[in-house]
Amino acid sequence: MKKKSLLLLMSLIFVASAVVTGCGKNNNTEKESAPTTEPAKTNNAAEVKVNDEPFEITIRHTQVGEAKKFRLAMLEDVVKQTEAAVPGLKIKLDAVDSEVNRKEKLRGEMAAGKPPEVFDVFGSPDAALYAKEGLMLDLTSILNDLGIKEKFNTLAPFTYEDKIYGLPIGGSIEGYFYNKEYFEQKGLKVPTTIAELEQVAEAIKADGKIPFAQSSKDAWIPLMTTNNLWSYYAGADITYGFKTGATKWTDPNVVKAVAKHEEWVEKGYYKKGELGFEYADMRNQVITGEAIMMMDGSWANSVFRDPAQAGDMVGKIGYFNMPPVNAGDPIIVMQDANNGYGFSSAVAEDPRKLQAVTEFIKNMWTDEMQLRGLKEDGVLPAMKISLDQMKATSDDALMQDIFKAVSEIGTSFPAFDALVQAEVNTALSMGIQQVIGGEFDAAKMLENVQAAQEAANATK
Amino acid sequence: MNKALKSPLTYILFILPAFILFLGFFIYPIFTAVNNSLTSWNGISKTMTYIGLDNYVTAFNDIAFWKSVRNNVYFIFFSCLVQVPLIVIFSLLIANVKRLKGLYKTAVFMPSIMSTAVIGILWGFIYNPDFGLLNELLGVFGVEPIYWLSDKKWAMISILITNAWQWTGFYIIMVLAAILAIPKELDEAAAIDGATGFQRAVKITLPLIMPIVSVVIMLSVAGAMKAADIILVMTKGGPAGSTDVMATYMIRYAITSFRHGFGNSIAILIFVFTMIITVLYQVLIAKRTERIEY
Amino acid sequence: MRSLKKLIPHIFLMGYLLIILYPFLFVLFSSVKSNNQAIASNPFGLPSSIMFDNYVNAWVNAKISTYFFNSLYIGVVAACVSILLAAMLAFAVTRMRYKKVSAIIFQLILVGMLIPNNSLLLPIYGIMRNLNILDTRMALFLPYIANAIPFTVIILAAFMRSLPGEIEEAAVIDGLRPAGLFARIIIPLTVPAIVTVFIINFLGNWNEFLLANYFISSNELKTLPIGMVGFRDAYNTNYAQMSAGIVFSVLPVMIIYAILQEKIIEGVTAGSVKG
Repeated sequence: MKKKSLLLLMSLIFVASAVVTGCGKNNNTEKESAPTTEPAKTNNAAEVKVNDEPFEITIRHTQVGEAKKFRLAMLEDVVKQTEAAVPGLKIKLDAVDSEVNRKEKLRGEMAAGKPPEVFDVFGSPDAALYAKEGLMLDLTSILNDLGIKEKFNTLAPFTYEDKIYGLPIGGSIEGYFYNKEYFEQKGLKVPTTIAELEQVAEAIKADGKIPFAQSSKDAWIPLMTTNNLWSYYAGADITYGFKTGATKWTDPNVVKAVAKHEEWVEKGYYKKGELGFEYADMRNQVITGEAIMMMDGSWANSVFRDPAQAGDMVGKIGYFNMPPVNAGDPIIVMQDANNGYGFSSAVAEDPRKLQAVTEFIKNMWTDEMQLRGLKEDGVLPAMKISLDQMKATSDDALMQDIFKAVSEIGTSFPAFDALVQAEVNTALSMGIQQVIGGEFDAAKMLENVQAAQEAANATK
Repeated sequence: MNKALKSPLTYILFILPAFILFLGFFIYPIFTAVNNSLTSWNGISKTMTYIGLDNYVTAFNDIAFWKSVRNNVYFIFFSCLVQVPLIVIFSLLIANVKRLKGLYKTAVFMPSIMSTAVIGILWGFIYNPDFGLLNELLGVFGVEPIYWLSDKKWAMISILITNAWQWTGFYIIMVLAAILAIPKELDEAAAIDGATGFQRAVKITLPLIMPIVSVVIMLSVAGAMKAADIILVMTKGGPAGSTDVMATYMIRYAITSFRHGFGNSIAILIFVFTMIITVLYQVLIAKRTERIEY
Repeated sequence: MRSLKKLIPHIFLMGYLLIILYPFLFVLFSSVKSNNQAIASNPFGLPSSIMFDNYVNAWVNAKISTYFFNSLYIGVVAACVSILLAAMLAFAVTRMRYKKVSAIIFQLILVGMLIPNNSLLLPIYGIMRNLNILDTRMALFLPYIANAIPFTVIILAAFMRSLPGEIEEAAVIDGLRPAGLFARIIIPLTVPAIVTVFIINFLGNWNEFLLANYFISSNELKTLPIGMVGFRDAYNTNYAQMSAGIVFSVLPVMIIYAILQEKIIEGVTAGSVKG
């Protein structure tokens, strides 16, 4: 009996693989024709005849939780306006956690060819991939009709083959949040060069505090510092060249930049054990006064302005850009607008849904909404709005610091993950943790990243 | 007599509903996965390019993949060599106490009630290097703070301990149910013959519960091979991939990198490795009577 | 001397209990603290003042009540159905006289236990889409029932196999058909195993996140684990409120388990007497 059952197991597997490989080729063609089109067509036929019949579209958003309640309120207002403008329209809101939506849910829906009509999406590299498969709605003509195409700071992350497939909801920059009160007490000044930044860090360390709060459990957090460093040492343009093979990660200047980050780790500028900390931990380090400076995206200002989250620290936090290597050099800062909304290509097949989407865009991307986002949520506008107007909108000291930082920018660049393949991002994430953990030095780590880069370049 | 238990219609009706669901949710997906694992599909594209066994070759040539396999092996060893003996000992202890039995039975099961996400948050606090319960406790004995989740040396064992904390009680309940199912007369007869509690446990109870212990071992192995949630919530495979197991390796290098075909090949490898281990276990270790088979 | 000997097991068990229950106290304490800072500054200590706001907020604002009842409904129904179906299959495979077919089926199901089917979400998503039941309760019922089948079959088959063969003989002499034998004799005798399996299945469904997250998008149909994510912003966590949510998510299972755990012994002793 025993022998038989074993045999059974084995033969099952063989049969399984044989059958699958055998019908492989047929499956191929089946997969091509099956998804997307069918359900949309039937809807279409039914709705064209009776025009004010109720119809529904779904908006997948990520405004989940307390910290995003302002964002949600704004979305709800836009939904109301849109419903009022389009007869028969009912908008269904579907809230999903941002990471879950980006990494799992939206990808699953895309694979099945059936995303919601409107969905939260990251520009690069996600939107381009979806657009390439024809799953996203080309917005170019809608934007032209509404006359807002030229009103955005940048639509590059959402552009694929000169067509626009999504709209960013806001923008951000990366720089240092710092404890202003502490700086004043100790007579520290906002640094103007990297060397000065190191002197400040040294002074803070000598005082028994942690110079930089950093949580490296998620590698993108320390990589903010690394990315800004290599953009200073090797120039912001170098990142564009990795994908084409024009530049290499092993460039001596990139090595120098990563070695600088490594040096800071070795000198104890970060808290020991930070490889195990969550994103929220580093903010708590600043809020409790344990750490003095923190590299983070400008979006973090909402935490430091909220008494429920920051407690006594509200009003005591300032912001500055990472300074250049030499005094007086132009300031180079990561600045992008990579998160926003995209639309299903199936919308194009139904004029009423297209009308609803157009109306949604018209109501969502206005100067008024952008300023409201800035005022309530501290999110920098994605649309062109003058600095003066921004300054007038929010009189908060931290926001004023951030506006000042924006005005100082000489050269800006998009975050590296928008410019390299996902596999390279994985290798870099692994690498920076290895450097922080003392497993590899900067040169060795970048060799590994370059190897991953070459492998990724070869497959395309 | 045989006739009554040989009613084909009843047989089919009894088997069919569960079996159809089983086919749909287990067998069909695994076939699809085998198919996808032979492609370079990115998970979104409508076309698939067949690339033969390239994905498997890639995995086999990747040091990081073998590191993740090694962590799965640690998982299995920890489950079988540490957890299972503890499970048996505590089950016997609970079965033999007269007082507070209900309390013990209820309490040991509590950790298995919590969702893994919650457990991750909870143990994050316990392992916290600064104010965590564990370091405070060790500090009493003069031990320097240990960076449990951020030190490569400690991260894996920390996860194993948490995982054991979550699931030991769950298996205790299963073994306990088997112990309590043993007819009282057997035990009483032995007691009259003058056997001590320990002797009775080893000579009578243990052999009788071996089949369920075998099930527990099987489930532990299968669980160890599939493990992902607990690692995701505690370390996300970090620091620097040192706690990656095959399932998290799959997520890191395949799913988040848009390499769906590669991801499916890892899923198949998880399945095949699990099967090899269980078959080996059944053939080599389990005694005839303990085998879980027909 | 004798009393000391009796005490030793209790000492070990109490030590084990302490390890197990302390984290629960942590959750309970955290749930009545005011905010993250109060928890972070004194994570394992008693709260300085007790606040029930977190519970009220969790229940009312975060719609825990809706999610709670969805989870309860889906969890209980799916667990019951999977036990019924699995018990039928286990009965047919272990007690009916078709050994060869039964061996194949059972072996297949054993293999199924090893399939990492959570890693194979996409094909299952495809099935749901083809059946056109995405975003309905059915989209959770079906996979929850199916997922529990291999485990349930293995456990129930193990118990049913251990039942003495004379039972059938007696029953058949009494004129019972297979279905009657199953319903009147086998099921009652398997109650302890069924209770165990029910708890485990219910628990699995109660905590299930991945599928619920994929297959359900309407707010009114979401389950508790998805609702718990509602507490968690992508970048920030409100631990105090989260703890209150945890208490809501753990309490009903605790109660169900505390009630059913007695049944495990009762059922067993009753069964062995009759057998």
